[in-house]
Amino acid sequence: MTTAHPSNFGSTVWQMTLMGLRYLRGRKLRTVLTTLAIVFGVAMIFAINLILPSMQEAFAQTMTSVTGADLTVTSVSGESFDPEAVLPTVSGIDQVGAVTGILHRQFSLPTLGNSSLGDTAQIDLVGIDPATIEDVHQFVVSDGRFLEPGDSGKALLPAGIAELAPELHVGTTFPLITAGGLKIYNVVGLMAEQGDLSSPQIYVTLADAQAAFNQPGLINTVEVSLAPGADRDAVAANIQQALGDSYTLDQGDSSSNTLAAMQVGLAMFDVLGLLALFLGAFLIFNTFRTVVVERRHDLGMLRAVGATRQQITLLIVIESLIQGLIGTAIGLLVGYLMALGMITAFGQIASNFFHRGDLSLQFSLPGLLGAAAIGLATALIAGYLPARTAGRTAPLEALRPSTPANLMHAARWSLIGGAVVMILGVLLLLTGKQGAAGGAILFLMGMVVAAPGLVIPVARLISPLLSLGFAREGDIARGNLVRQPGRAAITGSTLMIGLATLVMIAALVLSFAALINSLADANFSSDLILLPQSIAVYDTVVGADENLANRVRALPEVQDVGTMRYASSVTADGQALQVMGINPDDYSKVASFTVNEGTPEEAFAALGSDRNALFTAIALSTVGLQVGDDFVLQTAEGPQTYHVAGVANDLFTFKIAAIFISQANLAADFHKTEDVMLLINLVPGADKDAALANMQNILTDYPQFTAHLTGEYKQELADVTSGALVAFYGVAFLILIPAALGLLNTLTINILERTREIGVVRAVGGSRKQVRRIVTAEALLLGLFGAAMGVLSGVAMSYGFIAAFGTVGWDMPYFFPLAGIIAAVVVGVLLALFAAVLPARNAARLDIIRALQYE
Amino acid sequence: MSIVRTESLTKVYGDVGQPIPAVHDVDLTVDEGEFVAIMGPSGSGKSTLLYLLGGLDKPTSGKVWLRDSDIDALDDDALSRLRRNQVGFVFQFFNLIPVLTAQENVAIPLILDGMPRARALKQADEALARVGLADRATHRPTELSGGQQQRVALARALVTKPSVILADEPTGNLDSRSSDDVVQMLRRAVDDWKQTLVLVTHDSRVAAFADRIVFLKDGKIVDDNRLKGKGNADQIREQLSKMVLS
Ligand SMILES: Nc1ncnc2c1ncn2[C@@H]1O[C@H](COP(=O)(O)OP(=O)(O)OP(=O)(O)O)[C@@H](O)[C@H]1O
Ligand SMILES: [Mg+2]
Repeated sequence: MTTAHPSNFGSTVWQMTLMGLRYLRGRKLRTVLTTLAIVFGVAMIFAINLILPSMQEAFAQTMTSVTGADLTVTSVSGESFDPEAVLPTVSGIDQVGAVTGILHRQFSLPTLGNSSLGDTAQIDLVGIDPATIEDVHQFVVSDGRFLEPGDSGKALLPAGIAELAPELHVGTTFPLITAGGLKIYNVVGLMAEQGDLSSPQIYVTLADAQAAFNQPGLINTVEVSLAPGADRDAVAANIQQALGDSYTLDQGDSSSNTLAAMQVGLAMFDVLGLLALFLGAFLIFNTFRTVVVERRHDLGMLRAVGATRQQITLLIVIESLIQGLIGTAIGLLVGYLMALGMITAFGQIASNFFHRGDLSLQFSLPGLLGAAAIGLATALIAGYLPARTAGRTAPLEALRPSTPANLMHAARWSLIGGAVVMILGVLLLLTGKQGAAGGAILFLMGMVVAAPGLVIPVARLISPLLSLGFAREGDIARGNLVRQPGRAAITGSTLMIGLATLVMIAALVLSFAALINSLADANFSSDLILLPQSIAVYDTVVGADENLANRVRALPEVQDVGTMRYASSVTADGQALQVMGINPDDYSKVASFTVNEGTPEEAFAALGSDRNALFTAIALSTVGLQVGDDFVLQTAEGPQTYHVAGVANDLFTFKIAAIFISQANLAADFHKTEDVMLLINLVPGADKDAALANMQNILTDYPQFTAHLTGEYKQELADVTSGALVAFYGVAFLILIPAALGLLNTLTINILERTREIGVVRAVGGSRKQVRRIVTAEALLLGLFGAAMGVLSGVAMSYGFIAAFGTVGWDMPYFFPLAGIIAAVVVGVLLALFAAVLPARNAARLDIIRALQYE
Repeated sequence: MSIVRTESLTKVYGDVGQPIPAVHDVDLTVDEGEFVAIMGPSGSGKSTLLYLLGGLDKPTSGKVWLRDSDIDALDDDALSRLRRNQVGFVFQFFNLIPVLTAQENVAIPLILDGMPRARALKQADEALARVGLADRATHRPTELSGGQQQRVALARALVTKPSVILADEPTGNLDSRSSDDVVQMLRRAVDDWKQTLVLVTHDSRVAAFADRIVFLKDGKIVDDNRLKGKGNADQIREQLSKMVLS
């Protein structure tokens, strides 16, 4: 009799690790296939974790590079303010050395054929007060001179500008867009500093900058230097207290629209990575369920010689962890390479757009650990359930010939359970918008649950179809599939999720395009439209003062002109809102809103009085307000109370949290009078082309705008939209990769398991071709099974999600995604055929003798 | 002193409508150092009885004591420990784990018990030497003959120095020469290493090595014959065939 050695757990674990490794080595192909899913998921997540901080870093640099000061003060809304409200207060605070006011804005330059700023795509125009700036911030002028008070049309450039525009020297001139039209600047000096080439700072006097942005007398940044030996934190706290909530210290502008948009894009990849891991978990689960059945004898024997249930569970968990570890390690490597590739590719784009070639990968340990943890956790969780089943193996299993468990019984229960869940899902789908998305998910889950019970009936349903091409082999294939309904179900489910996503995306694309069309038709009744370079990122746009609108209005063909203005703001609790300013009288003549209640006329009327605001549906739900509520908005004039007068969407704002207020309020509260968009109606019967030509003539002074015939613009917009939506199809296809792996995995397992059977078939005279056809037929059955489930749940999902979008105010029409359904079936079949190639060949090539001896 | 003792041990398979009593009301005592052969026609409940003795299966009613512990009172973990420490099994098929070497297969009960691996492997080597397979320690089961595999299984049963070794037709799959090797090894386990052994067999030549033969029929003990090693195979065969016919 031996004594127990409970302290020596490591010995057991080590032996089990050795066993796990040997088992895995014994089934190489399957191991590789199972591991690949983890590799894929971890790589995605890790790559994103690497790229995101690098991007953020790059942008943060761009955004904060203005300041060389000890402290900077900006308004919470991000808008300009009166220096008198801040400068005296701040300079009066103890230990403050010097203060200076700045007005600056980063904006994209229109792509002019012969811009004298050369390759510069974006600049930061910084208006400084030459009298005080040098007390805060050192400038070293290497050529020419510094700016002087009273300078007008003079600019100081960073040395690096020579790389972008070699023809610029001290003494030369260049034109720059301003709200008042193109203005010529004279280069008076070059700095020693290289500057940020992605967005070079061009220094002009404060007065010039105020003119350029049509914001006379205003600044948007205060730079503060501290007295020697001052306590930075204490001074910052004192300033904050003196200025109140409307101002903020040291906030780099890192929440830029561009960065936010990019983050959303990258988050999509994160979701994709998680989805891949989710499907990977399915694969591992599937594989290990098979493993447990396959190893019945070994596990039973281990139990007979004294392994406890936990020890058996541990053995399987260790094995799945080994796969997780290998997959994670390779995934991290692949992810790193992916990130490197993406950042290089992006660097190319970035250097074209922002002249930023120095985008480098930021290694992040938390990112690495996070991705690794997720990968390992996936393997652990997916392996645990089969491992627990394994633990329940009775010792006598080792001695019994295999007894197929009560599979049919289990399948029936899963069908009933799944059907109940699906019915609940459908009820939720039908009851209304709120729960529709949940209903869709429920339906999908019900489908997954029901899948084992669906295998047999669906296979029976499909197989007549198959017998057309496969005759006897089709029947055998069906028999093979039905033998392991659980496995077929899991494979079908992975494929289903991929294909359902495809169908859903197809439906969403259709509906979304229809929504855009209907918004465009409803909102833009005008004949012509003048647009800035980038729509919806108005904070990098230089608009026009009222001269442009007046000149357009003066054209003989023009009847009405309505304009849109812009300011950024935040609510009292810090929710960002884009504030759009319109003049209801003018604007209602050229455009309309899509309103959820009442009429557009009522909505316009509401804007005419008091501090009324119309919210986009998204804005209302982000801020959490109701129509009729009052709320506080941070403005350049401090907090102001506005009133939610209604809900209104239009084509340009329906995707964002935006509100509409009157231009009078925008001017009073935000000091913004630039037009960022002009909509124009012509006199009835006027010559559109002549009007367009006249318009373009005026725009030579305002190259930040381009003129479009509204009809043409709508067409262009539709093209761009569908182009962007095509990218979503790319996402769907990426999701299909793990599904394809799942198919390959199952087919491989099925064949391994039947090695001896295949040997028998061959021994009694089956040809290689017949064996191949059996495997192919099996793959097709699986593919069609997954496609059938995918189409059903895809329809449910698309219906549910389109209804759910209704709750955020996007009333999208539902289109039955026929094209998506056809695509899903075709893709399912193609994937199956593709996945079958290798296993079919392997099966056909099996050596008969060895196959017969296979244990 | 008794190592194994059963009292009205009964195992019924099948459902209520059609019960199959595989083992019926068996009272059996095996003393320390005894070599007991269990014989009987196919389906008479020999394997079932052996599994019940080793805690591989739960009785429908009745009790099994191994040394002083009532097996029925043990939970699954305790039962696993009991199989690991107190019982050594040798079966007819599937004895070895294919991914483990002979040495590891023998060491596995020790390793499961938490013994440091190096020490367990050393003890396994000694056990392998006893069954004459010292030179095959690093071979995988597929690289061993059937007889060698059964000897590895025997080494595994011996390595923990269990209270009792339970062997279910360990020679059922072997030719007569390999069979003789294995049975002689079993006999030595009892004589030289003071093991207690219960062996199920169809083969009267194998049974002739035992000290005592218990005959089962329809799950009941029909004869209990103490031979004290002086058994005669022909005699045993005759007795068996008489029983089958009756
Ligand atoms: N798991 C089981 N389920 C139902 N009946 C069983 C089961 N195992 C054994 N039996 C029945 O119990 C009876 C005794 O079986 P057992 O395997 O113990 O016989 P045996 O004496 O070992 O036979 P053999 O010499 O053929 O190995 C038989 O009738 C058998 O059919
Ligand atoms: Mg038997």
